Amino acid sequence: MESNAIISINRVNFYYGAVRALTDISMKFRKNKVTALIGPSGCGKSTLLRLLNRMNDLIDGTRVEGEILFEGQNIYAPDVDPVEIRRKIGMVFQKPNPFPKTIYNNIAYGPKLTGVNAGDLDALVEQSLKQAVLWDEVKDIMSKSAMNLSGGQQQRLCIARALAMKPDILLMDEPTSALDPISTAKIEELIEELKKDYTIIIVTHNMQQAARISDETAFFYIGNLIEYNKTEKIFTKPEVKQTEDYITGRFG
Amino acid sequence: MEEKRHTSLHYEKELQAIKDGIIYLGALTETAIRKAMKSLSDRDTELARSVIRDDDEIDRLDTDLEERCIKILALRQPTAIDLRFITTAIKITGHLERIGDMAVNIAEKAMQLNEEPQLKPYIDLPRMADLVGGMIKDSLDSFVKSDLDQAEKVRRVEQVIDDLNEQIFRELLTFMMEDSKNIHRALLVMQVSKNMERIADHAKGIADMVTYMVTGECVRHRTCNMLE
Ligand SMILES: Nc1ncnc2c1ncn2[C@@H]1O[C@H](COP(=O)(O)OP(=O)(O)OP(=O)(O)O)[C@@H](O)[C@H]1O
Ligand SMILES: [Mg+2]
Repeated sequence: MESNAIISINRVNFYYGAVRALTDISMKFRKNKVTALIGPSGCGKSTLLRLLNRMNDLIDGTRVEGEILFEGQNIYAPDVDPVEIRRKIGMVFQKPNPFPKTIYNNIAYGPKLTGVNAGDLDALVEQSLKQAVLWDEVKDIMSKSAMNLSGGQQQRLCIARALAMKPDILLMDEPTSALDPISTAKIEELIEELKKDYTIIIVTHNMQQAARISDETAFFYIGNLIEYNKTEKIFTKPEVKQTEDYITGRFG
Repeated sequence: MEEKRHTSLHYEKELQAIKDGIIYLGALTETAIRKAMKSLSDRDTELARSVIRDDDEIDRLDTDLEERCIKILALRQPTAIDLRFITTAIKITGHLERIGDMAVNIAEKAMQLNEEPQLKPYIDLPRMADLVGGMIKDSLDSFVKSDLDQAEKVRRVEQVIDDLNEQIFRELLTFMMEDSKNIHRALLVMQVSKNMERIADHAKGIADMVTYMVTGECVRHRTCNMLE
């Protein structure tokens, strides 16, 4: 699991005020792989995900120790622009959160801000929607409000919006927990496709989903990384008893 | 299946019921072997018939257990130890069903042999029957207790059975060479011995699955590597 690391986390501790939410985490995420983060509620999965694109900066009183290298560069170094990091490391949230704008502008908004010129926008919007497998469903209603789309469509729109920023990494926090099985299957299918070009890190409470779509799985428990291994290994013969108890649904 | 329990008690009960079913099925096959052997040594054709009749129950239980395992796979989508437990259970029930068939084969040979004068006193065959009965018991014990040592013991006894089978073959060959009138009966006895040897193979198969269940490693064939 050493080769091809796009992100390396080295001895990271993370605090909300005085409360430590992550303890001495060291791990690497491999390029063009899907990595699943699993573990009981409150174990720190979302916290870790937000650390990777400096979203925790937006929360008052937080503190990071250790380093997180993205392609060799410490993203918490003083000279690093968090906005640039967030462009390269995009995020999709649990609840679809489209802007109250047209479908077109949901996608075009970010690229416009980063200076993509108007002539290239149409192509970028189309390409992003196609990548997110939403194009056929929305191509004739681009000027309608995104708020009228179904939950599954909104989530794919949010993925398209993230992709339009041309990120290297896509972080997804329970992206299908609010979706029906068909929409979920579409997003999972999409993740399979996307990993050719992107590195994907996904938080999920759905064990079968983690088993289906990820290459590697990390199990967290109360802020600690308990086991990190190939997904197949984690779901057939985990090395740590705690992992086994969790994924087989045994209580402590 | 040790210390911690599933959050879902229904699931816990389903898994326990599979375990119980396999133990019961194992007991039926042990009885079948014992009776088949007895029908031969006591020249009791009626007992042999009962072995053949009772095999229907073994087949029925095998199908029932397999269906329940498949249902758990479909509905519970087990992982890790639960997944290895269920796949092991499916394999074990298949082995036990085949063992039942071998007991039937032995009973059928006994019926034929009982029609003719006894070729020789049976000494090694009852020993084999005891040993393979013990192998089945030990292999299922190792399954219930996740006991690797006991599984290893089953593999050792399998060697002993192989040797016994060869010894019986050699002995019967001399009978055949002595007098061609012995050939038919000697061949039937050989088949009984061969069936015992195959039962031992199945018991070893069960032990190998237990090793897989506990360690995640496949020991059935040296080249096979299920998880790597
Ligand atoms: N903004 C915050 N301020 C203070 N504490 C927080 C904040 N966000 C999270 N925490 C705490 O940090 C710990 C980890 O929370 P986090 O949201 O990362 O867990 P999680 O693994 O994502 O859980 P879930 O599966 O429920 O989403 C929890 O104890 C939580 O209460
Ligand atoms: Mg979370």
